[in-house]
Amino acid sequence: MSRIVIISLFVVVAAAFAVVGWLSRREDSKIPTFGDMSGFVMQYQVGKVPVGRVAVLGFWWWVGWHFFAR
Amino acid sequence: MPTVPKPPVSGNNRRMEQPPPVTVEAVRTWDRPWVVIPLFVLIAAVGGLFGSFTLSANLLVLAVGGTLLWLGMTGRTGRRPAPTQLGRSAAWWLVPVLMLAFVELYAFSKHSIDDYPTLSLLADPVLNTYLARAACYFGWLTGFWALIRR
Repeated sequence: MSRIVIISLFVVVAAAFAVVGWLSRREDSKIPTFGDMSGFVMQYQVGKVPVGRVAVLGFWWWVGWHFFAR
Repeated sequence: MPTVPKPPVSGNNRRMEQPPPVTVEAVRTWDRPWVVIPLFVLIAAVGGLFGSFTLSANLLVLAVGGTLLWLGMTGRTGRRPAPTQLGRSAAWWLVPVLMLAFVELYAFSKHSIDDYPTLSLLADPVLNTYLARAACYFGWLTGFWALIRR
């Protein structure tokens, strides 16, 4: 039973991503797209160190490694 | 006294208002979709062959991911301008992100593979088939490409 609940929750999460993504792409939407959000986060720097860029790209690298190699 | 431009002579567009000069950004040959997409298809087709926990899978992910990370950090690809600030509406993205984090952490904290599977455990049976694995590999690569161009 709990397995079905967890899977359903993941489906709800996917649907939430799809809905917010769709809302962000409507004309005159005030919600930024996911790409704009990523771009904004990647601008974050501490001094000259691009912490945001390292974090986002490093996370995506880890995602690939986790799903395809581990 | 302002001067009024003479009307253009018919059949001659030399007097038409010329567009401002466009700054042409040097785009590298490999930094184009018709180069990158076939390359990603090829890498995904090969990556789909390697099962998890194999040396080949690790080496490919580390090599390809490392190259893309290097491209993204050194700015060798074109980049789209990012917004300098975000409005309050950006907080809507926190809804799915926090939901995902909560469900994933809750399932992980239960330490039960069958009753409380994490996302990667649910993905394993899907990724065991070649086509799904290659398609997801392609998605990962194109996602990486989209990120490094931001």
